[in-house]
Amino acid sequence: MTQMIADAVRQASVNFMDSVAVLLPRILITASIVAVGWIIAWALKWAVRWILIWLRFNHGCDRIGVGAVLKTADLPPADHLVSLIVFWLVWVGFLLSGVDVLGFSALEGMVRSFAQFVPRLLVALVIVVLGFVVANFAWRATLIAAVNARVPSPRVVSGAVRALVLILAGAMALDQIALARTIVLTAFAIAFGAVMLGLAIAFGVGGGGIARRILDHWFPERPQATEPEEEFRHL
Amino acid sequence: MADESLLSDDLLRQLMATGHVDILIGVPTLNNAATVVDVVRAAQHGIATYFPRARALIFNADSGSDDGTPTLVRDATTDDTGTVSASRPLRTTNRITTPYHGLPGKGSAMRVIFAAADLLSADAVVTLDPNVTSVMPEWIPALAAPVRDGRADLVAPRYPRAAADAPLVTQLVRPLVRAAYGWTLSEPLMGEFGCSRPFASHCLELSGIGTGATPEGVDLWMVAEALVKGFRPAQAALGPRLLGASRKRPALPDVFQQVMDAVCACLELHDSYWLPRGAADPVPCFGTLNPAVEPGPRPDVAAMAETFARDVAALHPLLTTILTGPTLARLTAAAATPAQLVYDDDLWADTVFEFLLAYHRAVMTREHVTRTLLPLYLGRTAAFLMRHASSDQATVDAAFESLCLAFERAKPSAAAQWTKA
Amino acid sequence: MTAGDPLWFKDAVIYQLHVKTFLDSDGDGVGDFRGLTSRLDYLEALGVNTLWLLPTFPSPFRDDGYDIADYYSIHPMYGTMEDFQAFLAAAHERKLRVVTELVLNHTSDKHPWFVEARSSRDNPRRDWYVWSDTDDKYRGVRVIFIDTETSNWAWDPVSKQYYWHRFFSHQPDLNYDNPAVREEMWRVMQFWAQLGVDGFRVDAVPYLVEREGTTCEGMPETHEVIKFLRARLDTHFPGRMLLAEANQVPELVRPYFGDGDEFHMAFHFPLMTRMFMATRLEDRGPLTDIIRRTPTLPENCQWAVFLRNHDELTLEMVTPEEREFMYDEYARDPVARLNLGIRRRLAPLLDGDRRRIELMNGLLMSLPGSPIVYYGDEIGMGDNVYLGDRNGVRTPMQWSGGWNGGFSSADPERLAFAMISNPVYGYQAVNVLAQERSSHTLLNWMRRLIRVRQSTRVFSRGTLTLLEPPNQRVLAYVRAFEKEQVLVVNNLSGTVQAVELDLSQLAGAIPVEMFGQSLFPRIGTQPYLLTLGPHAFYWFRLRRL
Repeated sequence: MTQMIADAVRQASVNFMDSVAVLLPRILITASIVAVGWIIAWALKWAVRWILIWLRFNHGCDRIGVGAVLKTADLPPADHLVSLIVFWLVWVGFLLSGVDVLGFSALEGMVRSFAQFVPRLLVALVIVVLGFVVANFAWRATLIAAVNARVPSPRVVSGAVRALVLILAGAMALDQIALARTIVLTAFAIAFGAVMLGLAIAFGVGGGGIARRILDHWFPERPQATEPEEEFRHL
Repeated sequence: MADESLLSDDLLRQLMATGHVDILIGVPTLNNAATVVDVVRAAQHGIATYFPRARALIFNADSGSDDGTPTLVRDATTDDTGTVSASRPLRTTNRITTPYHGLPGKGSAMRVIFAAADLLSADAVVTLDPNVTSVMPEWIPALAAPVRDGRADLVAPRYPRAAADAPLVTQLVRPLVRAAYGWTLSEPLMGEFGCSRPFASHCLELSGIGTGATPEGVDLWMVAEALVKGFRPAQAALGPRLLGASRKRPALPDVFQQVMDAVCACLELHDSYWLPRGAADPVPCFGTLNPAVEPGPRPDVAAMAETFARDVAALHPLLTTILTGPTLARLTAAAATPAQLVYDDDLWADTVFEFLLAYHRAVMTREHVTRTLLPLYLGRTAAFLMRHASSDQATVDAAFESLCLAFERAKPSAAAQWTKA
Repeated sequence: MTAGDPLWFKDAVIYQLHVKTFLDSDGDGVGDFRGLTSRLDYLEALGVNTLWLLPTFPSPFRDDGYDIADYYSIHPMYGTMEDFQAFLAAAHERKLRVVTELVLNHTSDKHPWFVEARSSRDNPRRDWYVWSDTDDKYRGVRVIFIDTETSNWAWDPVSKQYYWHRFFSHQPDLNYDNPAVREEMWRVMQFWAQLGVDGFRVDAVPYLVEREGTTCEGMPETHEVIKFLRARLDTHFPGRMLLAEANQVPELVRPYFGDGDEFHMAFHFPLMTRMFMATRLEDRGPLTDIIRRTPTLPENCQWAVFLRNHDELTLEMVTPEEREFMYDEYARDPVARLNLGIRRRLAPLLDGDRRRIELMNGLLMSLPGSPIVYYGDEIGMGDNVYLGDRNGVRTPMQWSGGWNGGFSSADPERLAFAMISNPVYGYQAVNVLAQERSSHTLLNWMRRLIRVRQSTRVFSRGTLTLLEPPNQRVLAYVRAFEKEQVLVVNNLSGTVQAVELDLSQLAGAIPVEMFGQSLFPRIGTQPYLLTLGPHAFYWFRLRRL
């Protein structure tokens, strides 16, 4: 009996040592990949940051409004943020490559999913940035046009335009990364439906007066210039 | 070959038949049927009365009118007035009306006019605006004589301006162009003008006349080109400039933007000339100015001031990008009291120059920069009209001059900033 | 004054004059520098921009001043050195450049150098001239002044040797094999250049050096001398001009430009002769032939073209048949013939025909090269073939119809040369004062011609492309420079002519006649028809608009 136990223990030890012998090299390789990856990611981070500083990237972001948003959200400046994103993307990539070397099948699926997710994430980020650019431009153009056309509450109007563009861009970005797709689609459907319904109510058969009072409250009448526009010549 | 040339074969034949002329009067037209006949008659009378021995040509370059303008030009006669003119020309005043090839617009029309003047060796070229209803025969010698006498190469008009007359010129373009280019030219956007053949030939040698298709842009470009290239400028005192009422005009924001784009484009093109220029040199003026005429009912300046105050608040996020802190603070303070709006000369000059710098640096889309200035310009106009609600002409003229001097004071600092940009 | 464009001579319109016969200010019957200075306004108004003066050096005047006795001075009868300098300053003030004579080849036998050289065979100056014990050396070399000389050697009774002279026997040739001679002539150039002279017209260039068994003309050593002087001039006085008088066919004149390192300019003698031939023959052949034979010059060189000058209209470089034709057409009276040439002025040569005079001047001003106007030809002065040698074309300038034609207050008998006084060309009929009073005189026409020519650089710097219309009586060509083009059409005949020109290469251009600014129909691909009056010519500026 004792011999049986000893044999079993010995066999278990041998099996364990065999497993360790197989696994240890892989662990070492994984560690090397992760370490090298960290170094490369760190170098890339500084290189990207330096390039962005040289390109005055922060200035450009300030112009399109991204800078202000980051400040409001207490996030680091845009060039720092981008370099951090680059760092993490690169290092996580190396991390996952290292994990893949270990040969755990459970993790392989995760690596594959991540590899497919990263491009979509990048596209989503581009959509968000473009969204900011367009939103900012639209906001400015709307503000100026509204002011020059004597539209009431021009800042409200231009702000609304900007928000709409940002929401649209955000929805497109979320859709791109397949995050909460159902929720986003449903929200859009509800929102547009609500707008249509609201318009129907406001300009429909009943409730016209209430709609008018609400509109008057938010958009008070501005005294129109009474100059005879047709006759006054600036040139 | 005619297709590649400014001048069609038919036009060339007409020019050959005309031969050398002493004075060429150019009238660029596009659907001016309502007003062009009086302009042509005034030109005809001017030649008959003041240049009876001169060989003259009235040359109409038409951009493709569909209201019969060319026919009216061709058929306009002085006999329609029903009076026997005491001055009949000894010579036949030739008349040519022609369509022209190329992009429609005053720039192309001026090229054809200048080409005709060059080929016919005209001593003086006078260009008239076909929309002006106040053209007098006296305008012809006023614009042509200094050129024919060899005293000037470009004779710009000088109109008597009431306080509410063409504020875009008196409040913005005139002081800015004067301070920048360093010449006391009253009407940089001209309208009517006279020029010498060397100047016409010079414009012809360049690839295009004007930086855009707008008439104001073309005229301003010619003025700037004359000043920069050393042609002798002069001014001729003309009567009030009244335009035809039925003329279809673009909306003020579009007009404002076109004018500002033209001014800014000229300043960018010629910055090596105007940056080092100092105080403005006087441009000789020939003739005596008539009293100014109020162009029409004045606008509601109180409403304009209120609107200005709201606009400054609404545009504040943009103004922080364009204006410096002190200027924005002064502007905001001025807008805080619309009832007694005071938008003084120095503040306005600083505003304009800072907008100019913002345009130059493209801190945002350039169109946005110029359109953001429009409400401020309206505010300045309102303030000016408030202040001179019942001022006499002398006071108004003094105010115009004071404004120009304020722009001249603001220029050196702006020039230094421009170079840094 | 010569600062600025080193190629100023390309744009020159040169006026050749003789100080002796231009204007006398002190009543001694001889023109002088003060008189010339007083007439600079007239020259400026004419439109010329360069003056070429015949020699004004001290001289025994056996060759009208080309026999020089002192290279460093002014003959007292022309005034003082101060007068010359005042004239130079006044000319420069009016933007008139001044070219003087530089007689390199020979001196007067009265020059101190020759007086010394001939005094003894051991004199240090002996070798400054060309001596020989016999007159057999350089046998076969042609005599230039065949009407007065029989040999190129003359016997010197003082030193008992022969001396070499290509021109008159009283003009011994200098010996350019002697470096001292070269250095001395450089000093002469330096002297006048320092005073401010803008250029030198170098007389008798081909004959500087002699070699046995050759024609003694255009020797390689001659070119070395020129290069030497040119190099010195460019180093010390950049922008000064050297103009060669080398009466040769164009191919033989070409070497005198070197590689742009010898003469800046040279006279185009054969072109001049053929202008007279072509207009008389009413055939462009002689002109187109010489134009084609004219070699291309270095970029920094220019031909000098002329109609007449102070010498005879030379017929040395034509065939005997052509010479015979020229004598028959232009010098029926043998007294007008001299030294293989014709000693007449422009107007008498052309029978006083205003149209032909205009045509010839039109050719002069529109063919390639810098034109030279001989004094008096701008008013159509006549000549006096009965004055000796070539003095008949050097008579006093006719300023007015008054005393001595306004030239001098001296007694008429005292004048250096008698005034022309016949009813056709005499000073009462042909003078500056009379021609200034009417706008349609030859003088005013010449002013307009020069003004139009100078209004563009096409004529002075442009290329020439011959056109070949079927009508041989019409000479047409296109001058082009940078973007400018001018079409020149000349009717060489005395009758109205029609001509169809193939201008398809210029299709699209609008011809603008340059004198009246009249427009002509646009050039197309079809032959372009023009009609010209007798001896008429047109200059069309080709516009593209």
